[in-house]
Amino acid sequence: MLEVQEVSKTYNPGTVTEQCLFDKFSLSVEDGQFISIVGSNGSGKTSLLNIICGSIPVQSGDVLVGGESISRKKDFQRYITMGRVYQNPALGTCPNLTMLENLSLADNKGKSFGFSRGVNKKRINYYRGELEGLGLGLEDKLNVKMGSLSGGQRQAVALLMATMTPLNFLILDEHTAALDPKTAEVIMQLTNKIIREKRLTAMMVTHNLRYAVEYGDRLLMMDRGQVVLDRVGAEKQSTSIDDLLTLFNKISIECGN
Amino acid sequence: MKKVLTFALAAAMTLSLAACGAPSAGKPYKIGLLQYGQHASLDNCREGFLQGLEDAGLVEGTDYTVDYQNAGFDNAMDTQIAGKFSSEDVDMMVGVATPSAVACYTAAEEKNIPVIYVAVSDPAAAGLDSGNITGTSDALPVDAQLQLIRAMQPDAKTIGILYTTSEPNSVSTIAEYQEKAGSYGFTIDAVGVTTPAEVPQGADTLISHKVDCFSNLTDNNVVGVLPSILEKTSEAGIPVYGSEIEQVKIGCAASAGIDYVQLGKQTGAMAAKVIRGEATCDQIPFETIDSYSTYINSDVLDAMGISVPSDIAANAVEASAAA
Amino acid sequence: MLDLLVSTLIQGLIYALVSFGVYITYSILDFPDLSVDGSFPLGAAVTAVLLTRGCNPYLTLLAAILVGALAGLCTGVIHVKLHVRDLLSGIITMTALFSINLQIAGSNLTVGRSVDTIFTAGPTMALFGGLSLTNRKLVVALIIAVAVKLLLDAFFATKAGLLLRAVGDNAFLVTSLAKDKGNVKLAGLVISNALVALGGALVCHETRSFSATMGTGQVVFGLATVIIGVALFRRFSFVKGTTAVVVGSILYKLCIAVALDLGLPPNMMKLITAVLFLLVLVASGRKGEEIIHA
Repeated sequence: MLEVQEVSKTYNPGTVTEQCLFDKFSLSVEDGQFISIVGSNGSGKTSLLNIICGSIPVQSGDVLVGGESISRKKDFQRYITMGRVYQNPALGTCPNLTMLENLSLADNKGKSFGFSRGVNKKRINYYRGELEGLGLGLEDKLNVKMGSLSGGQRQAVALLMATMTPLNFLILDEHTAALDPKTAEVIMQLTNKIIREKRLTAMMVTHNLRYAVEYGDRLLMMDRGQVVLDRVGAEKQSTSIDDLLTLFNKISIECGN
Repeated sequence: MKKVLTFALAAAMTLSLAACGAPSAGKPYKIGLLQYGQHASLDNCREGFLQGLEDAGLVEGTDYTVDYQNAGFDNAMDTQIAGKFSSEDVDMMVGVATPSAVACYTAAEEKNIPVIYVAVSDPAAAGLDSGNITGTSDALPVDAQLQLIRAMQPDAKTIGILYTTSEPNSVSTIAEYQEKAGSYGFTIDAVGVTTPAEVPQGADTLISHKVDCFSNLTDNNVVGVLPSILEKTSEAGIPVYGSEIEQVKIGCAASAGIDYVQLGKQTGAMAAKVIRGEATCDQIPFETIDSYSTYINSDVLDAMGISVPSDIAANAVEASAAA
Repeated sequence: MLDLLVSTLIQGLIYALVSFGVYITYSILDFPDLSVDGSFPLGAAVTAVLLTRGCNPYLTLLAAILVGALAGLCTGVIHVKLHVRDLLSGIITMTALFSINLQIAGSNLTVGRSVDTIFTAGPTMALFGGLSLTNRKLVVALIIAVAVKLLLDAFFATKAGLLLRAVGDNAFLVTSLAKDKGNVKLAGLVISNALVALGGALVCHETRSFSATMGTGQVVFGLATVIIGVALFRRFSFVKGTTAVVVGSILYKLCIAVALDLGLPPNMMKLITAVLFLLVLVASGRKGEEIIHA
């Protein structure tokens, strides 16, 4: 279980641009839960992910995983049991390394990076199988540099890499936003498949209300650092896009947008 | 197309390398002359050297040819040019200034090509005092300079000197100054710099220390920006003593210094002996210039209100801008 | 003619060590490391002092590698732990090293002919004593350059090597792999500067001299060779980066040899060399900065 406890975050404290985003914000996520988070720009979705990942510091509060505080851990230490897929497909893989090298790196996550061979030939068949599972024909491109693949292909590989080792937590940061609608759909389905197959706990930030409704078993809508809608299980299943849109518009009007 | 161009270029390079075949015996004596960089004193050395060869009765073109190269104060370039001389089987290498002399000596080692050097301050320290090598040292006449300053400024106590910490000649000359200054009743205030850009600051430091005069070494960085030093010192009314004639010409008060053309000529005469086969380099010990001259700039001295003792004035060479 | 090619090759191979170092920082780590101008003479300074004191010539290489690694560590710590910008960290180390080099070996130091270098010492003579000094230099330089190249290739294929390549390519991924990207960068800087200092040591063995100013322009040299090498082999993906930079280094020295050989006025040398580089780059169809950030 992941718990965000009374976290306060103010940007540019003590300056004229001071902006309080979270004031004692709390959230808990059950193991195995797949949460979709929607909200307008600046509502705090991505900041929340960054706080959980340790990418940005907070003024107060605590983040716990399995009852243990991870607040003192640096970002890279938290990633031992966390995976993240970014909006920009270029951030999830190394463009100048081959796909095989990228997968080998991901495969070794959590172990030591010593002087043994970087690419374990015995694992190639496993990688090929995983790539086949993506259904994008990538299994024949193991020796191609990642940089020469399309955004969708890279994002699919990034997803595979992020979930290759056992995880407590998968973070999806608008990971379909930079893709064309058709590719986005493919990646979204893959994401769902992987999360379900590997029984992952996941948090997905998205601007796509349909994805938020269709996928996941809990739905959060955020606004100005607060959860304004939180629906789980059957209640979530009955939520429609129109419901969301109505609420969304109401918030936007309040904001003067 | 691009690929073709690349290969054509590579081929052109190879061809141009091939074009430089080595000439054989019966041709004029081939001299590879490597100068560390372009600099008035070093240029004077080279010109004096060539003059020295002519003075010895050798004629360029029939008796000898000179391949003059300049390393642009770059040690890697020094090595490469010396290597080129060696591969072209020159009959003699001439190195002007210490780094070039060392580079020539290293490159000449295998083929035992004779090496002549000009303007190496401390040949022994540079390891250039034995083997198939000889030349002339341009060690500054420190005693003479101190004497000159004492004669010009009987009341002076402190001499300020700017030097580059990475120039070996400067470091060793500073040591000599400090060792000898006491016996003439001076103390030395030496300020070290690392780049030409720091020299003006160094000059300001010395001026604020209220030194009685400046004395220059043959330090490349300092000499290179000498005009900016002179601007500050003349405003402060502090005379600057140069280390050679070129410096006096541009505004130093006086100098007991080396005439680099003369030094070059002396070296040229040594080289001529080797070329004629009268002696080999290892038979000729390196020489230090025995005579130095006193140069004065009356305009500057007058402006500073310094009167030149008559015995000095009688032998000094006038080097004011007008002269 | 052959002699000139050989002496150019020797220079190219020896200086290839500097190119390897710059290749690691600039091309792989994407870190513009200016400490090279200081670690190169540092290697030479330590070597010159050790040689004149009668140290085993082969051990001087090891010593140079160690002090170079230390210099890289300094730049790394300044950048990674003290959060100083990359360019500035290198400048700080380079500036400090200038004084340190002066402390170690003075403004310059000549190694006498009676002192054995790696080109004249017993084991080398036992193996290649039949060759002339020049050819021996070529063989030894070739062995060292090729050995370092192969070692680097092997290292880049290890897990640690992959991680190093990843950090310059996409630092986010390294963090995602639960590794401290700062430490990986630090390791890269250590390796790079160790190689550069080894280059300085070889130059000291070859020229029997150290000069405090010998580091000036080494970064520029390294960059030029990396750019030339990578540009030339851009279309040949099977050619490893390490091979490309060795060729780049040799080509650089060849450009200078050609410029020298054209018999142009010495003061025009740098201009001619610059034009030759430009020709190589244009002929290979790509400009420098694109290559570096590719």
